[in-house]
Amino acid sequence: MNADWHDNTPIYRQLKARVVEMMLDGLLKPGDALPSVRQIAADFQLNPITVSRAYQELADEQLVEKKRGLGMYMTDGASEKLLDSERTRFLNEEWPAVLERLDRLGLNASDLLLAAETGVKNG
Amino acid sequence: MVDTNLTDFIIDAKNLTKRYGKSVAVDNISFQIPAGRIVGLIGPNGSGKTTTLKAMLGLVPFEGELKVLGLDPRTQRDELMKQVSFIADVAVLPRWIRVREAIDFVAGVHPKFDRAKAERYIQNTKLKPAMKVKEMSKGMIVQLHLALVMAIDAKLLVLDEPTLGLDILYRKQFYQNLLEDYFDENKTIIVTTHQVEEIEHILSDLMFIREGKITLSASMDEIAERFIEVMVSADNLAAALALKPIDERQVFGKSVMLFDTATSNSSADAVKALGEARAPGIADLFVATMRGTYA
Repeated sequence: MNADWHDNTPIYRQLKARVVEMMLDGLLKPGDALPSVRQIAADFQLNPITVSRAYQELADEQLVEKKRGLGMYMTDGASEKLLDSERTRFLNEEWPAVLERLDRLGLNASDLLLAAETGVKNG
Repeated sequence: MVDTNLTDFIIDAKNLTKRYGKSVAVDNISFQIPAGRIVGLIGPNGSGKTTTLKAMLGLVPFEGELKVLGLDPRTQRDELMKQVSFIADVAVLPRWIRVREAIDFVAGVHPKFDRAKAERYIQNTKLKPAMKVKEMSKGMIVQLHLALVMAIDAKLLVLDEPTLGLDILYRKQFYQNLLEDYFDENKTIIVTTHQVEEIEHILSDLMFIREGKITLSASMDEIAERFIEVMVSADNLAAALALKPIDERQVFGKSVMLFDTATSNSSADAVKALGEARAPGIADLFVATMRGTYA
């Protein structure tokens, strides 16, 4: 396994983001076991503390849970939580920018609906 | 399990000094290393790295106080060696020895050697029990060394340039094996290397040593917080210089400046406002701190 880390964000955050991405893409599913801290540390050549910290944040956000003696597992509610936070992020960050652009272009709701319908017909 | 060891630190050095005749190799240094850390000891040739390691292992006499696992390396070396492993120059294995003889030897002299673990590890390499050291490549010798050392349940592992002369595949494999099969939160690794880049994410702590003195000693978290590298655009140049960067280099016509927010009169926020900020690599930090004007 190979990893290209960049220097702008702490590595544990980047590692956490990778796990989240795997969850969103369905590569990890609820109930799936995550690799052990030791395994990740060895494969990516990271200090185990870095890996533990990423896992701890995922656990704090209830995306994973620790099963005693077995390791970390993706929680049942993780997909929904992620979808929720992605929706919130879209509404708070992306949507205002889109709205602004629509406004600048002078497009209104019926234009958009019409475009969507023709899009469906053509598609 | 609670460690019943009464010592708080794996290594506790106070005013450690080593002189060779009139020259001072290690100049009155003090530091402490707790358990569960992976510490990088980084310095140019002749800076005192190896002498410091030798003092820890009881291989050279020294002045000052030094406790390793609560023991004095000068007077309790035998006891200490039961709990410490060491990889230095790979040439210390005799050329005539066979893999199985080396295993027999360590099994005979070391009470904490796990023979099955060493054999298991060797099975995953190209090493064969009847193979002699003189028939091995440099990478294979290191694998044999690693098999012997990792099978010893030592609390402290000291690595002095462990991957010197190895190709990149063996180097990667070396640290991967260490993290997978040896290291845990009750163990401590001290490593010196010139290949700083390949260990920088493995380390929990960093010590820079120069002319026998420690010039920087901090956890990687502290370093990430304290040192900031910024790509400064031309219009911010004067403001950036006023904040006294400790280093400056040119990349694609832009100035990349390194700031130490602990010593300069620049706050982290002021520095980050100058441009795109990021954590410096250890190699760049090392070069900047070794330049002399800054220490």
